[in-house]
Amino acid sequence: MFKKALLTSAFVACTAQAQVADVPITGNVASKCVITTDTPGVFGNPVSNKLSTLPTDGGVLPIVRYDIIEADSYKAHITWPQSFTTSPVLNDVVNWTGDVELAEVSVAEMADFETNKVQWNNTTEYDLTIAGSAWFKITSVADYGFDKSFPGGQYRAAVIAECIAK
Amino acid sequence: MYRKIIIGILLCLSGSVMAHEWTPTYPKMKYSFIDGIMVTTMDLFNKREDISWYEIGVYDKDFNLIKHSVQGGKVQYVPPLQRKSVDVYIRSKDMDKATYICSKSKIISESEKATVVASRICSKIK
Repeated sequence: MFKKALLTSAFVACTAQAQVADVPITGNVASKCVITTDTPGVFGNPVSNKLSTLPTDGGVLPIVRYDIIEADSYKAHITWPQSFTTSPVLNDVVNWTGDVELAEVSVAEMADFETNKVQWNNTTEYDLTIAGSAWFKITSVADYGFDKSFPGGQYRAAVIAECIAK
Repeated sequence: MYRKIIIGILLCLSGSVMAHEWTPTYPKMKYSFIDGIMVTTMDLFNKREDISWYEIGVYDKDFNLIKHSVQGGKVQYVPPLQRKSVDVYIRSKDMDKATYICSKSKIISESEKATVVASRICSKIK
């Protein structure tokens, strides 16, 4: 009898305490897809009519990292350039080629991104179905005219890395 | 095992200063104080030290631009490591078409840095 009364009073005391306790809940909404430029690319100039980010041509491949916090919420679109953002005046056509490739993943299953990728024009689409981090390397090659030399000056082109919510 | 450690180190070293965040992922539009105009608040966090300007756009499902307005202008100045909240306004009659609200980094052509990556993140209107 005494034990029951003790238990009841303890329960009542606990509930009363819970009623007055003020428990704050705070939180920040973090982005579910983060694009990070790991390596800004550099054009190499192996021959006078060619600019290339390929290491074999003396360039540096730009590397973009996607941090996917929520699986299956986003698609990645990566677009290699088809024009210069900065260049001297060019009087002839520039022929662009390029490629986007999955370079590194934090989760082994993410390797499927590469097999399931979809390409059109100069854009490559990856369905980000697995959470983790994925590194993409972008190749970009510009050929000037018909074996014409690029005029001297600074050349810059932009790769576009996009996260599109599904 | 080593691979995971190396990736972890890479994340710690490189992730803090070159990223771009745009939230929420699925914004909800609500009525604004102007009749016939809907509004939502988006948050932009600029962790890219090479970028200070972002363009905000509203698009349909095929990425055609939809008429919209952004508090403070469509091109926003967001210094590195700063967070900014912006109100995006869309006409009620365009709400059936409006699908994405995107932020895109803007590269200044005179910039001396060899930036070649423009980032764009699109949230989907629910």
